[in-house]
Amino acid sequence: MAKYTSMAYNSWDEMIFGTTKNPVSIGLGPVELGKGWVVPQIVPHPRPGSTDTKEKLLREYQRMTDDALGRCVALGFPALVIEFEHIYQMTSQPDWAAAIFKQAKAQMQDYYDKYGLKSALISTVADLRKPDMVHMRKSQELDWMLETFASTAENGADVLSIETMGGKEVFDWAVQRQDIRGVIFGIGVLSSRDMAWLWPQIVDTAKKNNITAGGDTDCARGNTAMFLAGGYTATDLPHTFAALARACSAARSLVAYEQGATGPTKDCAYEDPIIKAITGVPITMEGVASACAHSEMQSNIVAAVVDLWSNEAVEYHDMFGGSSVEVFTEILGYNVAQMNASIALGQEKVLRDINIASDKYRDVHGFMLSPDNSYEIGKAIVENIDSYYGRSKAAVLKTAELISGDSKMQLTEFEKDALDKARREVEALPDSEDEFIDQCLSDYKKVAGFDPSAYGF
Amino acid sequence: MPKSLNEVSDFSNIFTRYDIGAAVQKRGAEDVSTDKVLQAIATGVVDGDEDVVLENTNKALENNEPTKVIDTLIAGMREVSKLWDDGVYYLPQVILSSDALMVGLEKAEDAMGGKAVKKGTVVMHCAHGDIHDIGKNIAAALIRANGFKVIDLGSDVPEDEVVKAVKDNNANLVTGTALMTTTMSAFAKIAKMMKDEGMTTPFVCGGGAVSEEYVTSFDLGVYADQAKQGVEMATDASSGMSWEDMRSKYNLVM
Repeated sequence: MAKYTSMAYNSWDEMIFGTTKNPVSIGLGPVELGKGWVVPQIVPHPRPGSTDTKEKLLREYQRMTDDALGRCVALGFPALVIEFEHIYQMTSQPDWAAAIFKQAKAQMQDYYDKYGLKSALISTVADLRKPDMVHMRKSQELDWMLETFASTAENGADVLSIETMGGKEVFDWAVQRQDIRGVIFGIGVLSSRDMAWLWPQIVDTAKKNNITAGGDTDCARGNTAMFLAGGYTATDLPHTFAALARACSAARSLVAYEQGATGPTKDCAYEDPIIKAITGVPITMEGVASACAHSEMQSNIVAAVVDLWSNEAVEYHDMFGGSSVEVFTEILGYNVAQMNASIALGQEKVLRDINIASDKYRDVHGFMLSPDNSYEIGKAIVENIDSYYGRSKAAVLKTAELISGDSKMQLTEFEKDALDKARREVEALPDSEDEFIDQCLSDYKKVAGFDPSAYGF
Repeated sequence: MPKSLNEVSDFSNIFTRYDIGAAVQKRGAEDVSTDKVLQAIATGVVDGDEDVVLENTNKALENNEPTKVIDTLIAGMREVSKLWDDGVYYLPQVILSSDALMVGLEKAEDAMGGKAVKKGTVVMHCAHGDIHDIGKNIAAALIRANGFKVIDLGSDVPEDEVVKAVKDNNANLVTGTALMTTTMSAFAKIAKMMKDEGMTTPFVCGGGAVSEEYVTSFDLGVYADQAKQGVEMATDASSGMSWEDMRSKYNLVM
C-alpha cells in the first residue's frame, strides 16, 4: 500500500498549473496532460426525457458531443477532453453505454481527421452500490458497473474513472451529527478499503484495453460535507468541519493511485491539489465554470495547480449563446487560453498567485486547498502512509493546526468552537488502527445498513 | 514588483466576510417545566444527550402520565427549533436533539402501550434510479421529530411503490427527492398515477438539480428548496391545505 513514501515535489512553490511530475497522454493526438499546458474538459449532461429510449439518448449525446467539438474548432481551441459521467440508464445497461461511447469516439475521430482537433473521452461509471442497499462486493449493481467499465473501454473510452460510494452509510450518519470520528471511519477507513478492493479491477480493465485508469473522487462524502457547509449564510454544517472531512478525502482518494491509477484525476475531487503534491499525477479540477452545477467558495484557487480544467456537469439546453454545452466549452476554452498564455509569457506563477489570493482567506475550504497548505497536509499523509486510519487522522490534525495557526484566516466563534471540538475528539482517538476499527465496528453497528463484511471485516 | 500574499492585509476588494459581521449571539434554551425531572428531559433534548433523556424519562414515568412526558419531550424539541431558527444551532445539533427525542418518545410510548397521536402521515422516498438520499434523511428526521409519522421508503423506489404507500397509509403528504435531472422525471409519472387514481395528496419534490419550474409543471407537485421546509409543509398538508394552495404559498406560480 505504501507506494508514496515521499512528496512528488520538493516544495509547494514547485507546483504549478499545466505541469506535473508524471504526465499522462490520452486519446487522439494524443492529448498530453501535465506537459506544460492546461486542457479544457467539458462534462455534458442529458436532459430529462432524453433517457426514455436508447435511440433518444444516443441522439442527445450525439448532439452534445458535436456541439462541444464544433465550438472548439470555431474558436480555435487546440484540444478538448469530454467526460461522460454515466447516468443510471448507462451503467445499468452496458450496451447503451457502449453505443454512446462508440458514437462519441467516431465523432471525435472525424474532428481529428478533418481539423486535427486533439481530444479524449472519459468514462465515469456510476457507482450504483449504495452501501445500505446492496452488498459492495457481491451484487447485480457491481456486475453492471464492471461490465460497463469493460463495454466503454472497448468502445472508445480513453480513461476510466468513478466516484465510489464506500463508507457513505456511516459518513452520512456521522456528518449529520458532526461526529468527526465517524467521518474518519467512513471516509478514511471504509471508503479507502472499498477503493483498495475495487480499483485493481478497474486498472486491470484499463490495461487490457490499453487505455488509462484515471481516478476517483470523494464526492459522495467530502462534497456532501462541503455542500452542507454551503456559503457564509448557511447553517447546516460548520465550514471548519467540512474542511476536516476534506482532509480525510485526500488520504482516501490517494488509494486509487496506490492501486495503479495514473490520472487524470476526477474533476470533483477537491482534494486533488493534495493528491498532486503527493503523487505528481495530472489533476482535473472544476472551478468557476462549475457554477452551472453548484456553488462553491474556492472557484479560482482550485485553478492554481490544475492540469485539466472542468465544469462538473452542464445540462443540455438552449442559451442565448448557443447550447449550454457550446457555451460552457467556450468558457472553459477561454479560461484555459488565459492560463496557457500566462505560461507562454513566463507569468504562470503570477497567475497562480492571483488565483490563490482570490480565495485563500475567503473560506477554510479554499484555505486548505491553497497549494502551500495542501503540500503540508500531503506531508502529514505521507509521514503516516502505512495505515488508512493513521494518515486520515494525521491529515485532519494538520488541517486543524493550519487553520487555527494563520491569523488571516478569520473564523466566527461558532466555527472556532466546532474546530476545537473536532480537534479534541481526534486527539483523544487511539493510535492503533486495529483499536480504532474495533471501537467503530461496535459503535457504528447502529447505522442502518452498515455491513462490515462489505469492507472485508 | 508584484507583492506576495504575505504582504497583503486588506482583502476587502476581493471578498467580504458577511459571516463574521453577522455572527449570532450564543444563548441557551428557555425552561419548559418547573419540575426538575421534566426539565432535565427537555434539557437533554436541547443538548442532544440520549443518556440524560433516557434516564430522566424513566424517572419521570414513575410519577407522571406518559402523555405528560411526551409533551415535555416535544416542548424541548420546540426550543431546539427556536435555536435553529435564530441561527444559534446548526443542523447537526438539531439532528442530535431529534435522536434524543426519539429515545425518550419510544420509552414513553412503551409505557403508554401505544403510539402517541401523530400530527399526520408523510410518505418519503428518493426517486427511482437515484441513490442520493441525505437530503431526504435530514428532512425525515426533522419531520419525525416534529410529531409526524414518517413512512420512509428509502432510495431508488419504483413509482408504483410510492403510489401504493400513499394509498395504503392514507398519507397527508408525499415527498420525493432526486439529485439528478435524469431521475426526477419519475416525479411526473408518480403524480400522473396518483391523479389517475383520483388522489389529491400534495407531492413535495426537491433536491439537487430539481427545479421549481419542473415540479410546478405537473399537477400535485409542490417544490421545496430546503429540507427545513418539510415540517411546515407537513403541517399545512395535515391541516387540509390543498396542493394548489400549497403551491401558491411556497412556489412562484407563473
